[in-house]
Order: sequence, then structure tokens, then C-alpha cells
Amino acid sequence: MDYIVEVQHLYKTFRTKDAQVEALRDINLQVEKGDIYGIIGMSGAGKSTLVRCLNYLEVPTKGSVLVEGQPLSELSGPQLRKLRSQISMIFQSFNLLMQKSVIDNVCFPLRIQNMKPDQARAKARQLLSVVGLSDKENAFPSQLSGGQMQRVAIARALASDPKILLCDEATSALDPQTTQQILELLKKINEETGITIIIITHQMSVVRDICNHVAIIEDGVLVENGLVEDIFNHPKSRAGRYLVVEGKDPDEWEKARLDRERRRGEKDLLHEDRRIRIAFSSNSSFEPVIGNMVLHFGTPVNILRADTRDVKGVARGQMILGLPEDRQLQEEMIAWLIGRGLAVEEVDDDVDY
Amino acid sequence: MWTIEVWQMIGRGIFESLYMTLVSTLFGYVLGLPWGVVLAVTDEGGIKPNRPVYRVLDFITNIMRSIPFLILLILIIPLTRMIVGKSYGSTATIVPLVVSAAPFIARMVESSLKEVDKGVIEAAQSMGADTFQIILHVLLVEARVSLVTGATICLGTILGYSAMAGTVGGGGLGSIAIQYGYYRYQADIMVVTVVLLVLLQQIFQLAGMTIASGIDRRRS
Repeated sequence: MDYIVEVQHLYKTFRTKDAQVEALRDINLQVEKGDIYGIIGMSGAGKSTLVRCLNYLEVPTKGSVLVEGQPLSELSGPQLRKLRSQISMIFQSFNLLMQKSVIDNVCFPLRIQNMKPDQARAKARQLLSVVGLSDKENAFPSQLSGGQMQRVAIARALASDPKILLCDEATSALDPQTTQQILELLKKINEETGITIIIITHQMSVVRDICNHVAIIEDGVLVENGLVEDIFNHPKSRAGRYLVVEGKDPDEWEKARLDRERRRGEKDLLHEDRRIRIAFSSNSSFEPVIGNMVLHFGTPVNILRADTRDVKGVARGQMILGLPEDRQLQEEMIAWLIGRGLAVEEVDDDVDY
Repeated sequence: MWTIEVWQMIGRGIFESLYMTLVSTLFGYVLGLPWGVVLAVTDEGGIKPNRPVYRVLDFITNIMRSIPFLILLILIIPLTRMIVGKSYGSTATIVPLVVSAAPFIARMVESSLKEVDKGVIEAAQSMGADTFQIILHVLLVEARVSLVTGATICLGTILGYSAMAGTVGGGGLGSIAIQYGYYRYQADIMVVTVVLLVLLQQIFQLAGMTIASGIDRRRS
């Protein structure tokens, strides 16, 4: 498998006057061509640094970044700048030129490459129509809404026909509805042009909605990565469990951890049921599985949490069950559920519901 | 008293003041603009940090800015003679005015360029823009309102300096004010020249601010 982006044993250390901060430690990941790859983590977890290492806006302290097999560390200044025109970037704060009109902003990367002005404008017009802003070409960024500004930024990012689009918290400054529209636009562009998109976010919903793969970053370390679907069904890391099982965005992890510590003492006094999490896939969500199970075993189970979501057009869901005390019955129930094609796993103390 | 000759002299004074101020500002920017760009670009956190270059330029700028204008005027008389051929009159005054204004302008330019949003610069870098393209298409464009405001301040300051140069034979309105008001006790002529200087200052300020808000695209 050829990867368009490969990160190998990447470390980034920032030195301040009297301390050094390890922003990233031993990051390894591979992104396939045409993929939408999410990188999720808490603010300050190092994901913005990571994405800047992918176009060498930040130079890693150790390790390598390969784009289409080419190690970036081996490129000269001009070669690196040439490559950067193939790796576009959009930002949380849009970063448009406030003194230039919308169309001049979109023309900007083309002007840098010395494209003729009328040729650049023709291309910019076409891109503005792709992002649905044809009527705004002579407006200035300050006259636009956040969503419109991000659309201009997307048009600008696409102007140089890049192979890769890096999105650094591109929807974090937008309201949920606008976020949806921008994500749909990104997805559409990915489908139509085959561009590889790498998305940095702290919102699980962004990953769920458009990413195929995801990497979870916690305190500068990549704790888990893989297909979004697999991580959804079987989160392995604690951070993954927080994200998937609890639906908690990274910014809530710390609070969740503290809450749990506080409650740990009380919990021991209570009788603990054995708890399992089951994840529904597309075919199983139509069958009343739990109902059938209860009828089959003649013993009730306690539904502690249940929710289903629309994930990329397919109904997906999860449920957390408290099983009866009988150890053998528990095993039978689990076997029965697995037999129904469901992903079943134990929920340990580390996760709230 | 208010003869035609006096009015002609005042008219010539206005012309000389404008001439000295505008030409000095122009040449001041010819030197000060690139100077300020280099300061902004090479400083830590600039787009091309270069500690030795910044340190040296920063030091020279500070030295030049700390020499009082009147001292500088006398100090560089040999230079003025070399360039203009004489050391008195309004054309000769332009030399010390430029030498004094350039480092001041460089600082104004430096601070304007440092105000430019780092994110926008980063965006340009991510597109593969080189240092020169970022200076030309991002820094100078995004900072243009602040640059014009700075130029307005420089123009006013240089007008003030040009009047000061009048005390040592520099010509212009300042020269008239000193000659008539101070040496001949003709306070009325002095008052008129001062009023005219105030008016010039007001016009510069108004024009500068009008241009600045006229070219600002950040307001809808």
C-alpha cells in the first residue's frame, strides 16, 4: 500500500528559556491517498503541532515525515515551497487577507506561482462557484460570515490543485449548522477530486461525520488509530473509550477523570453489576435484539445507556447493559449477542455511562 | 508693516516648508521603509529571523534616534556640504531631515508590520510563498492602513523638525518665525507663521487619516 503521508517516529520538543516541552512523542501514522483522516485530541495535546509538521511549517525535532515517499527533511528551501503548494491548509481563524477582495484572496496562491492574472481570476471564479460564493467575488472578508469566510479559505486552498488538504480545527469557530455545511463541502470535494484530507479537531462529531480513519492524540502521544468504524466498535485506549462510549469530546476528558476519582469510593459500597457495551452495525439495528434476548433467557437486563446515531448515512448505535448476577447466565447472554453479529465488550470501571 | 513683501516672504516660507517636509518624508521612506522591513522580518518571531542582522540594525537605529535633531543638523554639516554643496537653505536642510527621519520611519514601519496577523503569514507560508512574496503581498498589503497612519505621524514630525531647522538658517516658516519674532520682536509675524504651521499640521493629519480610512477594507 502506498501512503501519501507517512509519519515515522516523530518527536517535537519546544525549548523555552528554562524548560523544554515535549509536544509530540514517537508519533507514527500513515494516510492513504484519497482518505479523510481525522486527528483528534484535547486542546494542547499537540495536534496542531503535528499537522504543521506535515508541511514542515514546524520542523520535527526527531523522526521523519514522508509525502508521497519523499522525506521532507531532504528538500531544499525552494523544493519545500514547491511541495507546499501541493499541501494546502485551512485554519480555525480562516486567515484570509483582510485587505483583499474575495476573488483576490482565491487568486493569491496562483499569483505566488506567477500565474497570469486573467487566468488566475478565471480559475478563482470557478472555485468560488464550487464553494457556492459566486456572488461574493468582489466582497471583502469583513463583510462575510464565518462560514462564508471558511468557504473562501477552502476555495483558496484548492486553487493550486493540491493533493492534500490540511484542516486545522477548521470548523471550531463555526456554529453546528455551519459546521455541517462545511463538512459536507469537504466531503464533496474529497469525492469529486480524490484529494486527501487530514482533519485536526477536538470534536468527535467531526470525526464521526466525515473521517474514514482517525488517530487519537493524548498528551503528545498517539494512543490509538485505525478505521473510525473499528474504533467505534472496539475502542482500545482510555481516550478512545471516552470518545466513543461516553461521547465525550477531548476537552471533557480531564473533568471526567476527576469526577470518577471522586466517586470511586462511593461506588465500592454499591453492588456492581457486570456491564457490557454492545455496538450495533447496520444490519443488526433493525432487529429488536435486546427484546429477543430477554425473551430467550427469561431474565431482564438493565439498559444503562442507549443511543443511536446516523454515521455516514448508516444507523449506528451502542448500548450499555447491566447483566444479571448469575455468572453463567452472563456468559450465555454475551455468547448469544456475539452470535447475533454484535460487537460486545466489557465496560470496566474506567468508563462512565 | 504688512507690506506685499512680507506676504511674499510668508508665501515663500509656506512653499519652502512644504518642500522640505514632503521631499524629506519621501527620501526618509526610501531609506526607512526597507530598513523597517528588515527590522520586522529579521526579529525573533519574524518571517526570517536573523539575530545578528537584527541586533546591528536595532543598535544603529537606536543610536541615530537618540541624537537630538539640532545636534545632528550641525554634526552632519560636512555630509550636507558634500551632497548639496552648501549648508544653509531649505535644500540643505533636507539632508539632516532625512538622516533624522529615516530611523524614526524605520521604527514606525517595523511596528506596523509586526501588527500583521501571524495566522495570515502562516497561511501564505503554507501556500509556498517565499520571504519576498510575503513581504510584498502580505505584510505591506495587510499593514497598509497602519503604514499610512504612521506616515501621517512622520509627516507631522518632519514638519516640526523643518521649523526647528529654521533657527539655524534652514529656511521655511520656522526661519521666518525666528527672524521676525525672536530677533526683531515682531510678534505679529511670528504668530502668523505659527498659525500657518498649525494649519499645515492639521491638513497633513486630515489628509492622512482620510486616506487611511479610505483604503481600509476591514469595515463593511
